Order: sequence, then structure tokens, then C-alpha cells
Amino acid sequence: MKPTLFILLAAAPALAVDFDQDIRPLLQQHCVECHGEKKQKGELRLDAKIFAFKGGHDGLAIVAGDAAKSPLFQRITSTDDDERMPPKGEPLSLAQVALIKTWIQEGAVWPENVADKAAAVDKRLQHWSVQPVRVVKDASIDSLITAKLAENNLVMSPAADRRTLIRRLSFDLAGLPPTPERVEQFVKDTDTKAYEKLVDELLHSTHYGERWARHWLDIAHYADTHGFERDQLRPNAWRYRDYVIKSLNADKPYDQFIREQIAGDVIAPNDPQAVIATGFLAAGPWDFVGQVETKSDMLRRAARAGDLDDMVTQVITSTMGVTVNCARCHDHKLDPIKQEEYYRLWAVFAGVKRGDREVDSAEAKRIASEKTRLTQELAVARAQISKLAGDGLNLADIVGGGVKGRGIDLRTGNLTTGKLGYHRDIQTNRLQRIEWPAEVKDADRTVSWVFVPDGKNPVPVAAKQEVKGVPATSGHTWDAIRNGPLNAQRNTKIGGVDYAEKEHSILGLHANSGITFDLEKIRQSSGLGMIHFTAALGFGADASAAASRADFTVYVDNELKFQKLKMRKDEFAHLDIAIPAKAKTLTLIATDGGDGISSDLLFLGDARLVPEVEHSRLSAVEQGQLQQLRAQAVKLEASLKALPEPAKVYAVVSDAKPPVIQVQRRGNPEDPQQEVQPGAFAWARHARMDFGTNAMPEGQRRRMLAEWITHLDNPLTRRVLVNRLWHHHFGQGIVTTPSDFGLGGDKPSHPELLDWLADELLRSGWSLKHMHKLIVMSAAYRQQSTSHNDTASRLDAQNRLLWRQNPRRLDAESVHDAVLSVAGTLNPAMGGPGYRDFNFTEAYAPIYDYITPDKPELLRRSIYRFVVRTTPHQFMSTLDCPDPANFTPARAQTTTALQALTLSNNEFMLQQAKSLATRIENETDSRTAAIRRAFLLCLQREPKAEEQSAATHLVAEQGLFALCRMLINTNEFVYLD
Amino acid sequence: MNSAFPCRRRKQSVSRRDFLWELGGGLGGVALSTMLSEAQAATNPLSAKRPPLPAKARAVIQIFCPGGLSHVDSWDYKPELAKRSGKPFDPDGKMQFFASKPGNCQGSYWPFRQHGQCGRWISDLFPQLATCVDDMAFIHSMQSKSALHGPAMFMANTGFILPGFPSMGAWVTYGLGSESENLPAFVVLPDSRGLPPGGVINWGAGFLPAVHQGTTLQTDAEQPPIADLFPPKSFAQLRGDTEQTSREFLQSLNRTHATERAGNTELEARIAAYELAARLQLSAPEVTDLRGETDVTKQLYQLDHEDIGPFGRQCLLARRLVERGVRFVQIYCGAENTTAKKIRPNWDSHEDLVRDHGYWGQVLDTGAAALLRDLKSRGMLDSTLVICTSEFGRQPAAQGKGRDHNPGAFTAWMAGGGVQGGTAYGSTDDLGSKAAENPAYCYDLHATALHQLGIDHEKLSFYHNGIQRRLTDVHGHVIKDIIA
Repeated sequence: MKPTLFILLAAAPALAVDFDQDIRPLLQQHCVECHGEKKQKGELRLDAKIFAFKGGHDGLAIVAGDAAKSPLFQRITSTDDDERMPPKGEPLSLAQVALIKTWIQEGAVWPENVADKAAAVDKRLQHWSVQPVRVVKDASIDSLITAKLAENNLVMSPAADRRTLIRRLSFDLAGLPPTPERVEQFVKDTDTKAYEKLVDELLHSTHYGERWARHWLDIAHYADTHGFERDQLRPNAWRYRDYVIKSLNADKPYDQFIREQIAGDVIAPNDPQAVIATGFLAAGPWDFVGQVETKSDMLRRAARAGDLDDMVTQVITSTMGVTVNCARCHDHKLDPIKQEEYYRLWAVFAGVKRGDREVDSAEAKRIASEKTRLTQELAVARAQISKLAGDGLNLADIVGGGVKGRGIDLRTGNLTTGKLGYHRDIQTNRLQRIEWPAEVKDADRTVSWVFVPDGKNPVPVAAKQEVKGVPATSGHTWDAIRNGPLNAQRNTKIGGVDYAEKEHSILGLHANSGITFDLEKIRQSSGLGMIHFTAALGFGADASAAASRADFTVYVDNELKFQKLKMRKDEFAHLDIAIPAKAKTLTLIATDGGDGISSDLLFLGDARLVPEVEHSRLSAVEQGQLQQLRAQAVKLEASLKALPEPAKVYAVVSDAKPPVIQVQRRGNPEDPQQEVQPGAFAWARHARMDFGTNAMPEGQRRRMLAEWITHLDNPLTRRVLVNRLWHHHFGQGIVTTPSDFGLGGDKPSHPELLDWLADELLRSGWSLKHMHKLIVMSAAYRQQSTSHNDTASRLDAQNRLLWRQNPRRLDAESVHDAVLSVAGTLNPAMGGPGYRDFNFTEAYAPIYDYITPDKPELLRRSIYRFVVRTTPHQFMSTLDCPDPANFTPARAQTTTALQALTLSNNEFMLQQAKSLATRIENETDSRTAAIRRAFLLCLQREPKAEEQSAATHLVAEQGLFALCRMLINTNEFVYLD
Repeated sequence: MNSAFPCRRRKQSVSRRDFLWELGGGLGGVALSTMLSEAQAATNPLSAKRPPLPAKARAVIQIFCPGGLSHVDSWDYKPELAKRSGKPFDPDGKMQFFASKPGNCQGSYWPFRQHGQCGRWISDLFPQLATCVDDMAFIHSMQSKSALHGPAMFMANTGFILPGFPSMGAWVTYGLGSESENLPAFVVLPDSRGLPPGGVINWGAGFLPAVHQGTTLQTDAEQPPIADLFPPKSFAQLRGDTEQTSREFLQSLNRTHATERAGNTELEARIAAYELAARLQLSAPEVTDLRGETDVTKQLYQLDHEDIGPFGRQCLLARRLVERGVRFVQIYCGAENTTAKKIRPNWDSHEDLVRDHGYWGQVLDTGAAALLRDLKSRGMLDSTLVICTSEFGRQPAAQGKGRDHNPGAFTAWMAGGGVQGGTAYGSTDDLGSKAAENPAYCYDLHATALHQLGIDHEKLSFYHNGIQRRLTDVHGHVIKDIIA
């Protein structure tokens, strides 16, 4: 406390102070502006009793009976200008100070009045969205819409015509235009249930799942790469995308859909689909450099903090529409969510990491054990072969000069047993002679050169000998070429065989390095003639290391005999290379795969030169055995190769012991505060928000959260969902902020309707298809959008009351799919890895170069597009396809000249226009018919007379292509009535 | 530090046309081209808007040097570091940088000299820019919240270390619209060697409508300047009169369609967009056609130099774009890291600073100095704010022959657009290791740039997923010390 001046009032008579008459007005006049309902400086409020006695950030403000100890009194009497309250204007008068002193001394009596009582109630707790869902009896969508319109003296617009309806409905439910034949059939259908039949047909179409998965993936910010600087591929992410499509098509109950996505691996660990569902939690961006590559723990903590925030925000905003992320740095400014509650949600996900995981653990185990069995059998066969054919020479031994662990230093050619590190400044493409120590006999000095290739071909591999075809490299290297595991090598197994075991050997050959053996000398000293080079090739980095690629190349003289490019660390190979009797050199080269040398710990298991069997030496029986063994080995190798990779998905990788989460002051990971335990926030008070202690297993936490979110009494989850459906069917929600149902969000235009729908969802057993059908069957949905009503426009320009349907523009995906559909080129294949309409170059930051898709496998629905984060698809993003870094509950819509350029000139559009023209030419036999067909395909209607004549002119002058090109550019093509 | 968190949020629904200033007077004073129909005016978010506050600058040219430009070898004179050169930087051995443990102190690889009337110290890495120093204002106390290229790039461009936020160019376009009806308002000129770390989302619109995203202009003279400006070669027959006929057919269909849907202004806007596209086909190639420039100008930008020429061309294009009413031009001086061959493709000089900064220094020095001189001689510098920045600086300690990342300090500079030349703001500690006096972040740089454009950075906001978002988040102070 700063020095405080106590005004001596001892002599003043002890007046009886009346709070309501003397003190309350004082507080109101001088304090409440900064310490009231609107502002709470220092977290202190003096406008109501409950707050005044609660105190503020620094503790109590009023100590009843002791003015000197009451900060309130200290502050109004302080002589320090920075301390004294009120901060602006004159200090309180002596008389006023005296009144307050007396009031406090007399016990600070504060009789509670109406305002005090009202203030004590937190109005935020009465916010509409957290109240229980009301059961609205005897209502329907139309009765509730009509009632609201009637309050404003408005009525619904008439129903749209059938052509408009089928177009609207097809794009809404399937994301594709109806065929002209289906339009005609529907328009002519006299069945009173014609519309309902159409609705059922579309809801049963598999295109429904493909369309509505797009909306869900928008709020999951799904993509097929990591994002950030090193935007690497997620080749297994697509299984989650397929899960969403399948779940929607199967009309999986929404509560189950949510539970699986948050904790499917815990709820049903043996159900592959439930495991795949957790791809939801991993769908967002992830920073490889910050999470893995950097050596700085601080940077890693920051990256992880961003990761957890992303997960928590995604789960809570998508399901409950609460902007919980606003409480990361401080208590939520609008909604009653405490910072600590936000971090409780972190604790739920504290053990969740993103990564590839096996989808079906039983299947994966079966494959793994099969792999082990085959590899072991192969090793036995090989051992028997070498027993019969002779052991030959161990290359690892040659490298180490007979000493295990010893290696050749690439810089000096010296033999060394010390561990070496990173070599950046090594001279590349330079042959280095080996400096053999004295104890190695001359006959054993059969390595002639080592070198670091930099990919500038040709590469010298021996005196007067160069080779071509060595991949480009960074020119750096690590450690040495070693008889035994490399420095930092964690894995010594290849295909289940551990080559560190006694009977085996390891030749470590980190990228980038090359070694050349002198075959002539080997033959001289060993007496071998025709030989084979055999070895197992694998990665010495363990599974948790960063994804990395490396290449391995073998030359005999200057002839390329083996090359494996961009090998992944989970891949391996068995080499068996015949070496002619006249060959002079054998060269082995490990290179970095174009992505730098990190983790490129390549090694060879049992690298040997084995003799071609001299038949004379073996008996006929032995020769037969040998032949059989060789055939067996070939068969085993083939079986090994044929083993499927276990199916994987990019999803949740669970950490059995999650770290304890602490509140981070101001959201700063370097400023941890109190510990928290897993739980949720108290605002939605439908169920316990404490999930348990930090001893709770990782999976259990997520399961609790999933149950908390899908709890029958959770007021938000169902409301948020039905509003999302409404948003996509009407172009705007009953609440226009679909992911914010808090105090900062919109208020529902039709609260009863929202509750009626939420209740209906429950009655239907959380069936989305039931809800879709209810909505699209309503008269409200079927209204015209083109109605003109001046009164309504004036009263409700935004059409919140739904006096008509809203006209809507197709989103980027629908334009893309519709173009393919009308051109007749849409490949309807469902599911599987995304189509990649780009050339991919592996690099530190991989390069994605888009190409014009012109093959059937690239002409699929856009939901199957391989979505790259850092290199958005120009065609799609020009048409407002959002950046998957963001959660996108509602697509933005712009109208730009670049869109006009893209739709009229992009090669994709032009090629498809050409296909469309060809299609029509094949389907029609006159110009008039062709023009009619073009309109029917693109716009689902006949051309008007003047359109027919204008089109005739255009086609006569420029061909059918020009008409097709322009029709898929029209406003009518991209807008729905 | 201020303990209040002014996350201001608006309690109202978002309308489809959510382009209003929160407090700044709405669309008042819309100066509209006669070529745009009234209907489009109502929906065109790119209509030029009068700045809410008095503006010094009309346009911005931002030069971004990705990879981390070393301040201690260039703008930030540290005699103490030179003295301590070779002595331990971190005697306790406890520090850990992004990729390495600190080596010994390493003084600047280039000697510093005083320049201009202001007498500011600049190293010999930038001999030509040194002659412009009386027009330049330096912020020596810049800091970043990340030591990683990706997040730090995002921060420098958008104020957030995460992807998905609008870049400064997008915010400016959102705030002020376009003065050119024939060219995009926000144009980006990437390095000829490739895109910077983080890619095109560095100039994305984030959650702002896509119309505000940067348009990449091909700097390669052989390519059409804008993607899809013309049909590709495989459709080369689509040129000239036939295009006109096709467009007329399209527009007649569109007009009939719109007439039947009276009151839907979006349809009119889309008709107008096709007209603008046609005009863009004329105006964009004109910008990139440098034949009309004098030999003196071409010489100034050293267009024919193999290494310097491409960046010179970017700078010259920036001047031409601003001349034609483009609001915001961003130039990249450097590309993404790759598995480097000889010279790094950007400023990220971990292994050989003399080699890499030496190369890039010459590139930046020539192009940027030419740009400043050219703008000045044409009387454009007063109304054009030139900004040069990096995502972070480099360590005063050695990392072999290079330097590791340093988010704790770097220098940015501004020139023109009402900036007071020859001044400096903030400083680093004796070694240039951390910002010391008046630490600043991109928030302050952004706030200052917006201020020069007549925008209060606290009032330029957009509602997104529950938050009224700003370029400067909840931070930012206009740096008055460097304003004229």
C-alpha cells in the first residue's frame, strides 16, 4: 500500500449514517461508472451489495467496522494521485469522506433493495440458448412460420413451380443438378405424393452424404495436409472424410455421430469405423516445425498450446456453438465462462495427439505376425543357402577393418570408433581414400573410396570412373560409414529381424554417403569368382521420428543395378544382385530423398558378397536342396511383398499419461498458474461439469465429454444442429451465427420453431434425414424466392421472417460438380484416397503445382479432392472455397471480376464446355435440338423463343462449344431460385 | 502492461453484406466510378471508400524479406557486439535457439558507417539504400511471437501466428476499397524463385470475403499477368471479336434473368463483374508491359541483371501498379526454404551468412533503393508508404558461419507516406539480442501503417465466429515518433 493520509476526523461527531440516503448516491455518482454493470475495473463492482462485499481483484474492498483496513477508504483518501479514487476530477469532499468512514465504522450496513437483488442474478445465466429446450405442442414448421408472419401482417409466398423445386431440392440434398429426364418426369407426375417421392429419392441417394459431408467438414476444417511451413501430406486422412459420408448416408443418429468423433476409439475400440471417426479431432492444421523439428522446448510448448486450443475450439463450437476459445487469455468477456473452465477442456484433450494410427488393431496384428513369420522363414532359408553355398564376405566387417562399431570418417578416410555428428561443410563429390590403420592386413583393405554425393551427376565413384543417375541431395551427411549401428540409430530391425543380434551384422550408411569396394582385390584375396551381393535394406530411425524419405542406389562398375527412391522409414527391401566375374567395383550410395538428411539413418542388414555356387563342389542332392531353397526364398519374398499395409487413418494418437494442465495466465504457455482437472463449463448446467481427477485415463476423459455434449438435456447441442440444417436449407439460420449461440451471437428469429425442431430431433432418435424431410416438405421451404413484396421488403429486407425462400448461389464445390455433371464427365466413384489434381514435389516445404484435371480419376466430386492447406486450389478459392485453417459454419460469398475470368477462361471450364458440346452433339441431330438440349441440361428448362434465336446465331457463328461455355457462366446456372 | 482486454464484440447479427465500419461512418462518401451500375455500388465491397481519418498515404508498397533478415549485419549498429566478437555469448550454456545452441558473439560481417544528414548508421551491406536514409524511418525494437518461419510469417502479415487470418493488404482493401476499377486493389508480386514460407495464405483474406485477398501478379514477362486472364493456349482461338459476341450473348441471358428477379442486386453485380473482367483483360497486360519505360528507369532497376533483375522488375511493377490506383502491393524478396544448393533461396542464413546475405543484400539494396528514388522523382513518395520487413531477426551469436533465428529483435523500416525520414524508434540491447527500449510488434507497425492510410486500427473490424476481429487483435499503438 502506498502512503495513505488518514484524515483526522476523530473530533467529528458520530453521525448516524443512512445508507440509502447518504452512501448509495455517493457510490452511484462517483464509483459506479467504472465499478458497475458495464465496467468492472479491478474486477470490482460497487453498484450492488453482493459485489461490493465480494471485493475485486485485490481482495475485499470494504472491511465492515474498520475503515482504516478497508481499501475503499484507503483509496478515496490516498495522497498519491495515481492511487486516489475517483481517478478523475476532484477528490471526495471531507464531508463525503467522513460519511463513508462513519458508515464503515458503524458496520457498513447495506440494506438490500430491489436493484441489489436484481444485480445479484447473473442475467447471462438466463440467456435463451442455455435454457432447457421447451416442448412446443401442436405445432409444425409452417404453423410457427405463419404465426410469426401474421404478427407482422405478412403471409408466405406461393409455392415455387416444379422445375424450380426439383432444381432447388437436388442441389440442396445432393449437390448436383437433376437430369432433364428426371425434371420432365417430376413436372409431369400427377401423383399427389410426387414431391415427397422426390425427397425420399434424394435422401436415399448416396450423393446426399457426399453433399452434406461438405458442410460438416467445413466446421471440422478438414484438409489432407498439415499446413504451416512444412505442409506435408496426410495420406491417410481420407478415411475420416469417408466416415462422415457413410455416417450421413446411413443416417447414423447424430448423438452417436458426435460421440464417435470425440471418443470412438474408447467407446468401440474394435469397430474400425469408430476409430476412424476420431479423425475429427485431428482434422485441423498442425505445425511440424513447432511440434517436432525445433530444438527449443519453449517453441514446442507454444505449438502444442495452439494445437490444444484448436481441438477444444473445434469440438465445442461445432457441437454446442459456444465460443469457448474467448476464455483462453481471460474469462470470457460476454458469456459466463471462466478461464479455468476453458483449461479444464484442455485437460480433456491433454493426452490427444494427432497422427497416423491403425484402423483395425486385430487386422494390423495379424498382418504384423504374418510378416514376422515370413521374414523368419526367409532368414532360415537364407541361412541354409549360405550354409550350402558358402558364407562369402561380410561387407560390414570390411568397412570396420574387422572391428565392430568402427567406421570410416567421410571427411578424412580415418577409421574411428567415436560417434560423429552433422557434417555440413564437407567437400562433396570428392573421392576420399581410406587411411587404414596398421593392423588391417593389406589383403583386407578392399574398400577403395568413400564420398559424399551432392547429386551433381556424374558422380565419381572410383578412380577414372563416374556414374549417372544419383539423386539430387543436400550435400550434408551424418556420422560415418560404420560396421554396426550409426550414431543415434534407434532401430536395428528390418522386417522383424534384428540385425544387431550376434549372428547378424549391420552396415550403417547414413545419407548422404557413398562407398566403393574393390572387387578385383576381393576376388584375389578370397578366391571368389561369380558372386552375388545380398542384403536387407532398412531405416534406422524409430517410428516416432519425423517422416522422412531417403534413396538407396547400387552400381556395379558404372551400371545402375538397384535403386529405391524416396523410401519411407516404414519401408524396406531385400537386395540380391548378381555381379559378373569381370566387374571391378561395387558402389553403394545412400541419399537424402530430397528432404534433407534428418532421420535418414539407412543401414544394411547382413550385407554380404556370396559366391555363385560352384556346382562341382556340391553333391547332386545338395544341388537339388539349394535349388529348392532358392525357389522357396523367392516365394517367401513374393509373399512378403504381397502382404497388405495395415489400413491407417490420420486421427487420435493417445498418450496414456496425459500431462497435467495448468491455467496459462494471459494465454501464455510460459506463465502457468493453478492446475486444473478434466471437465467442462458450468454455463450449460445439464450435467456434471467435473469429469474427475487427473488420475483419470486419457480416453475416459473424452468419453465423459462426448457424453456431456450429447446429453439429452444439453440445451445447446440439439439447437445448434437443427439450426445448421436450417441454415443450409434456407441460406440463413434461425440464428444467423451458427457457431455462436452465446451473448455475442444472434438471437433466434423463431425461438419456438428452433425448440420445436430440437425436440423433434430427439423424438426421431436424432435422425438427420427425418429433420431434412420435415424441413424440405414444409410450405415455408417450398415458397418462391422470386416473389416481390414491397411491404415485406421494407419490413424485413433480410427475410428473417421467411416471407419467401432465399435465392442462393452455388458454392465452389457445387459449381465444380454441376459442371462435370452436365458435361457428362462426372466420375461417380465413391470414397478412397482423394484425387490429386496437382504435381507433388517432395521438399523441405513440399511443392504443389496444380494441373488441369482431364482424366476420369481426377473428375470426381469435389468432396474427394485432396485438400492442400498452404497451396489452396486457385479455381476453388476464387469461387469462395474457404481456407481450411478456419472453422467455416457459413460460407462467405463474393462477386468478383476474377470469378468471371476463372469461369470463362479456366482450362477446366473450357474443357468441360467442350465435353458438354460433344455430348450434346452425340445426343441430338439438329441445331435446334442441340440448343434445346443444352438449355435443358444446364438450366433444366427449355430456351425461350428469343433465347433460342440468339443461341442459334451464336452456334452458327462459333459452334455449340461457345453456347455451352456461356451457359455454364450464366447467373441462372450458378444461382438457385 | 494494460490489464484490460478490449476484445470488443458486436451484439448483432451478421448480414450478408457485412462491410460496414463498426463506428467509422459506414459507407459514407462513396466515390464511385460511373462505369459501375448503381446496383453494383450497393453490393460492391470494393467501392472506394473515404478514409475515416485524414490520410497521408494513398497506397502501400510492402517489401517482405522472408527467412529472417539479420538486423545486426544491416540496420542495427551494435559496436559492443563488434567488441565482444569471439567471446562467449551464453557463458552458462543454458540457452537453446530454434535450431542450435548459441556460439560466440559475432560482430557484423559488414562495417557500419554514418550516412545522410541524419547520420544514421547503416552497414555496407546496403550501400545504395544508405543514400536514401534521410527518407527512411527505422523501428529497431521489432519482435515476433514465434521463432518459426511459418507462424512468424503469418504474424508479420496478419497479426496472428496461426493461419486463417486476413493479411494487412486484405484489411486495407476491406477498409478502403479500390481506387482502380480496372485492376485488383491488393496485388502480390512473389519472388521469381517461388512462394515464401506458408505460401499464398500469407496474402489470403482469412475470414474476410474472398474479394479482399491478394491477387498474385505473374512477374514473369512470358506469362499472362493474372491467372485465367485469357483462355489458355489450348484454346487460343478464343480471342477478340468472338469473345465479344459470346459475352454479349451471356449478358443478354443474364439481363433477362435479372429482370425476372427484380430487386436481387447480386445478379446485377455479377453482370457488372463480367464487364470488369473484360476491362481487366486490357488493363492488366498494360501494367506489366515495360516497353514504355525509359532506359534510365530500366537501368535504375537493373532489369537486365541476372540475379538482381527479377527483383528490380517486381519493384518497378509495384510503382506502375500504384501509379494506376492499386491500393496495396506486396513484394517478396525471397522464397521458401528448400534443400539448399549453393545459396539459400531466402534470407535464412544458418550456415553461411556472408554468402547468403551477401547475395540477397545486393538484390534488396538495388531494387528497394531504385524504388525509393523513382517514387521520389515522380512525386509519388509522399502518398506512397513503403514498408520493408522480415518475420524476425537473427542472433548476435554465431551458428557456425551463420546465425540462428531471433524473434526477440529485428528492424523494420518505412519511407514515404507521411513518415518522418531519418528517424528511428526503439532500440535493442547492447548486443542486438532483444528489443530493449520501446519494444514493438507487428501490431504497432500495422497500426502505424493504417494510421497513415487514415484508418484507426481499433475501429477496422469484422465479426467472425463470436469475435469482432481486428488486424491488431487487442494490441497496437501508432508509432508517433516516426510520423512527420
